Parts: sequence; structure tokens; C-alpha cells
Amino acid sequence: MTTPDKLLSRRSVLKGSAAGALGIAAVGGLAACSSDSDGASGGAAVTGPIAFGARTVDEQPTLQLRALVDAYSAKTGNEVTYNATESNAFQNNLSQYLQGTPDDTFQWMAGYRMQFFAEQGLLVDLSDVWAEIGDQYDESYKIASTGLDGKQYFVPQSWYPWGMHFRKSMFADLGLDADSVTTWDEFLSMLDGMKSKGLIGFAAGDKGGWEAMGTFDIINARTNGYQFHVDLLAGREEWTDDRVLQVFKNWEQLLPYMNTNVLDLEWDGATQLLLQKKAGTVLMGSWFAGDFKAQSDEDYFDLSIIPFPEINPEHGRDTIDAPIDGFCVAANGGNNAGGIDLIKFAGDMEGVQAMLDTGVPMTSANRGQDTSTYDAFQKEQLAVMAEAQYITQFLDRDTRPDFAGPVVGPAIQSWFRNPNDVNKILESLQAQWEALPPLS
Amino acid sequence: MSTTATNNKQVSRRRAFSKRDKITLGFFVGIPTALHLALVWIPAIATIGLSFTYWTGIQYSNIRWAGLGNYKNIFFSTPAFYDALQNNVIWLLWFFLIASPLGVLLAYQIDRQIRGHKFYQSAYYMPVVLSLAVTGIIWNFMLRPDGFINGLLGRDIDNAVSFFGNYDINIYVIMVIASWRHIGYIMLLYLAGLKAIDSSLREAAAIDGATEWETFRKIIFPTMKPVNIIIVVITMIESLRAFDIVYIIYGTSAGLPILGILVFQNIAGEGASMKGAAYAVILFVLSIGPIIAYLAQQFKEDVK
Repeated sequence: MTTPDKLLSRRSVLKGSAAGALGIAAVGGLAACSSDSDGASGGAAVTGPIAFGARTVDEQPTLQLRALVDAYSAKTGNEVTYNATESNAFQNNLSQYLQGTPDDTFQWMAGYRMQFFAEQGLLVDLSDVWAEIGDQYDESYKIASTGLDGKQYFVPQSWYPWGMHFRKSMFADLGLDADSVTTWDEFLSMLDGMKSKGLIGFAAGDKGGWEAMGTFDIINARTNGYQFHVDLLAGREEWTDDRVLQVFKNWEQLLPYMNTNVLDLEWDGATQLLLQKKAGTVLMGSWFAGDFKAQSDEDYFDLSIIPFPEINPEHGRDTIDAPIDGFCVAANGGNNAGGIDLIKFAGDMEGVQAMLDTGVPMTSANRGQDTSTYDAFQKEQLAVMAEAQYITQFLDRDTRPDFAGPVVGPAIQSWFRNPNDVNKILESLQAQWEALPPLS
Repeated sequence: MSTTATNNKQVSRRRAFSKRDKITLGFFVGIPTALHLALVWIPAIATIGLSFTYWTGIQYSNIRWAGLGNYKNIFFSTPAFYDALQNNVIWLLWFFLIASPLGVLLAYQIDRQIRGHKFYQSAYYMPVVLSLAVTGIIWNFMLRPDGFINGLLGRDIDNAVSFFGNYDINIYVIMVIASWRHIGYIMLLYLAGLKAIDSSLREAAAIDGATEWETFRKIIFPTMKPVNIIIVVITMIESLRAFDIVYIIYGTSAGLPILGILVFQNIAGEGASMKGAAYAVILFVLSIGPIIAYLAQQFKEDVK
């Protein structure tokens, strides 16, 4: 996984006393309320009310989270208020939210995005929680939950792999065997076959600006390997490198098999094409399966996943984007002790079970979730994961946030618009990386 | 307000205020001033200051002096800035040349009490009561790939008419949406002005044999000067501060870069940097510059 400490050393940190010398410090009154975080007073019984902040308003995950919160209330008698925010809005406001009066426990992501806020002192150290429930998790999850200071600030909820999703019934109708599609050539000829039958081979949407980052991640990892991908995102390799150009050349080979309105559709448009059987495959994180389940069990159980095909034999299919979602406790929350108690419950098998009992599909990070109870689709996800040696989070979780969203997203969109501009786009990407301010 | 007494009267006036008056006045003047300072001027000045720094917006101790770093970044390394500038200019031109004149025309027609003018008036005015965000939501429902229009055309999402994803036309799609509201707004402003015009002016013009167009150009339009000034300023502000509709439809993705979106994209969220503040300052200068120049010139003419 990307280690942001390397990012930090990318540039010499601006020294100098200029820091507060602007007189802007006088604006203090404008800043979000100062924090009077009442630390968890040891030993005292945890009492409510506790506020829980959900990063979703979608139906399926909401069912799951409400079940978790209700199970906690039922067990402890502590009142929990459930506050939901649409995920984009939640992300955009997170800095302000955490500096203001945040919910005690909130839903967030592992890796760089958690470490960034932990560094700023906005998250509560959860090392004690990990001491109690840590044995329920594999080491890799603990690493993903650990801040730059070596303490844990995150409790994982679930993970999902990014892979080629398809419908078993469609493959059967087309006479295709998914497991035999392992190389790039086999993949392209499969797409060709779909195209000749009037199908979209490789459904994609990138209106949101982030969706296609997953495609870039995987083609880069397949073409140039895990190490190059990680180094590129950390700024140790350059975007003008011929190897990056090759990624876009490979990607370009997929364009004829894509829907023509990539920039019109968001992720749910692309998965909708699969649901409607207009597209043969879609590269996406498996989380969207919940939508298929909401549609019907039949659609859900028709869903399957295989790893993205091999491009360069040197790297095989050794890397996968598998982001981890979970929870943090906000330092400025009104009830830190309550937040910690709730997050411990969420990470403990008991809480995980409450979420699983809703029947909403989830591949938990908790070792206690019996994989023999996985449904067929979840087992396939596990198999896809098992094949990978290297796990990345996702482009916008693996590189600087002021680069991913404002720079890479638009660059990929302009590439979709005009693939011939690739050299210009890559030069601009590199120039914009170099123009980024030093990390303080 | 009564505090603007002229110098020679100041002494006597001041004596006329009782203690209670002073307290009352103090409240009336003081509270709005304090609020104005706290909510407008201090943030504005802070934004200008912060635009010369590197900062993620979280801890004061992390603020680093950047000099012109953010501005250099924007002007020399960020192609999106020029795309956005271009779109804002198109927006401005469209509003000036198409939307605002249409609003004036509609107002004039309705003022002439053409048949069904009450119906037209309410129809055109209705979008104005909706916030820009709601306008964006409505049109998003209409035009997106699985939206109303594509449904009507019997198109599925894989072959839907591309209103938002075709970057060659999407600015004009957005212009139609924005005009839908802007025209009604201008119409209403102009209509209010027209109602106040003395009808004898028109009658005199008619007696002198002026055509409709001559009457409008030589009589009505000059008489409407105060309203015209307001419309010019509003049109300029509306086109430069544009944000809501685009944000509702595209989020912060680069679907349609405009300055308002760039400000937000670079100041909100985890990617926050003071590049966003620099964008805000650029937007501020672009908005305030022409407006001050225009108003100054107008008032100078008035003094003459």
C-alpha cells in the first residue's frame, strides 16, 4: 500500500517562520469551534446519547448501518442518533465537519484518507480498541487502520474487490467461459465477440470524474506492475514516462467496446447497462451488487466476477484495487467514550453479525465472518482477492487528495473526449503534479 | 439614514438626539455593521490573505507562506482555469446578448398588455421563485440519459441523447437552463420599471408619429436608465458567480469547468488547498472590476 510518509519526503518541506506571520491568525473567530474534546475518562460507564454519522443515504447500506446501531442500543441501552449524509457531500465537508461538532462515530475509509485526518489530530486513537478486538482481524487490516504515528485510528467494516463483473446467464447464452479469459488477447477477442452481437463489451461511466480511475489503476498495474503504479502515484515516477503512455494505448484498445456515452453516465449508469443485459462486462467495485440484490435475488445471484486480464506476463494478475471501508471516532465529538464503545461494537463480531443478519451482501473484514456462509458471488470475490499479491486502495485513496480529484479526474475525462491528446494530457498531469504545494 | 446630516447642521442635529435615540441608532447602525464586517469583510480579507499561503484548512500552525505560488500554479500549470474562463465568458456573452434582451422584450410585450399577458407573466416568472439548485435538479431529471426527454424519445441509456456528456454542446445546454430562470428575473425587474413610466410620455411620442421601435429606443429605454444599470450589474454578477446548476448536474467533476466550481473543488473536501482561495480572489477581481468601472462611469454621467 502507498505509504504517505514517502509522499511527504517528495518535496522539501517549506521551512521558515512565515507560518503565522500573515496576521490572518486574527481571523481565529471564524474558524470552526475550538475543540474541547473530553477524552474518554477511564473506567466511567459509557452513557448515551451517542451520535453516529453515516456516509451514505443509499437504501441497502442504510439498512445495514441502522441494524448495527440498533443492535448496539439494544445491547447497551445507550441511545444512538443516526445521521446520514450523501457520500459526496460528506466527503466535501469532512474537514469542516471534523473541526466543528461532528458525530462521535462516523463512517470513513482506510489508508491515506484516514491518515491525513489522524495527522491533524481530528481522530481518536483506537489502539485500546484494537488491543481488544484486533485478534479478529488479519494483519493487513491493522496496517490499513494505522496512522503514520503507528497508532490505530480506524476500524474496518468491509472490503470489496474491483474486477470484471458479468452475468453468468449472459455468458452462458454467448457460449463464453469466464475462467478461460485470462490474457489481454483473449479478453479483446471476447469483447469483439460481444460487439458483433450488438452488445457493449466493456461498460463504463465517468461523469463523476472518479469512476475511470479504477480502470487506470488496473491497466497500469497490469502493464507496469504494482511497484510502478505505487511509485507513480507517490510522485517517484513521472506521468510523461513512456510506460504511462502505454497504459493509455492499452486503454484505447478498449474504447471501441465501450458505450459511447461514458461521460454521460455515472457509475450506476454503467452497472445499469449490465443489469439490463446491454453490456457484457463492467469493471467496478463489487459493492454495487447491493443494487442488484435490491432489484431481485435472481439478478444478484446471476452476478459474477473475474480478475482483470493479464496484460504483461511479468506481472500476471498480481494486483487488485480493494478499498476498505470502516469507521473512525471524531476527536471533537461530544461523547468520545461513547464513540469508542460504539466503534468497538461495530468491529466486534457481534456488531458485524448484526449487519450480516440484514441479508444485505457484505464481505466483512472480520475474520469471524464464516466464509463458508458466503454466497456464491462473495466466494468469487474472495477468489479474486486470493489471486492478488498486492492490494491497492484506489487512485483517489492512494495519492494526494489535491491531485486525485482536481487533476487526475478531469485529465481522464479529457482523454475520453479526445484520446489523441494523450501526450498533451500526460505532460499537463506531470506539470500539475510538480506545481502542487509542498506538504506541510 | 438620519446620520448622514450635512456638516452645517450637524451640531444642532446632534443635540436633538436623546440618549434613547442614540442607543436605538447605535443598535440600528451597529448591529448590521458588525454583522457585515464579520460575515463579509473579514472573510473576504482573510480569503485574500490566505490565497498567498499553502494550507489544508485545518490547523493554523500549518499555514505556510506561498507568495504568488497559488496564482502561478493557476495561470501557468492549470489548463482547467482557461477552460473555466472560456465557459464563464460564454455565459456572460449569452446572458448579455440573448437572455437579458429576451427578458426586456418579454417585459415590454407584457407591459403592452398583449392577449394572455397575465398567463405569460406568471409562466415566465415561475422559474424565478425556484432556487438555482432546484432549477438544476429539475433539468437534470429532464435531460439526463435516463431522464424524461430521453424516455419520451424512447431512448435507452446506452443510446440516449447526450445533453450533458457532449462537451461540445453542454455549455449551451446549461445556458438554456440558466436562461430559463434568468429571463424571468430580468423580465420582472424591467416590468416593474415600465409600470412606473408616465403614460403621457408614450402618448406624446405617439402623437408625434413615432413608431413602436422609435418609442422604445428613444423614449422608454433612456427613461429606464436606473433599471438598465441594475440589469447590467445583475447580469454580470449572475454569469460570473454561476455555480449551483453546474454543481447539481456535474458535482465537482470537470464536466463543465467554470470558476465557481474551481473555487469549490479546491477549497472543499480533503483536497482543500488555498488554490481555492486564489480562484476566489480571481473571481472577485473579475466581478468587481467591471462593475465598479461601469458604475463609476454611469454616476459620472449623472453628475454632468
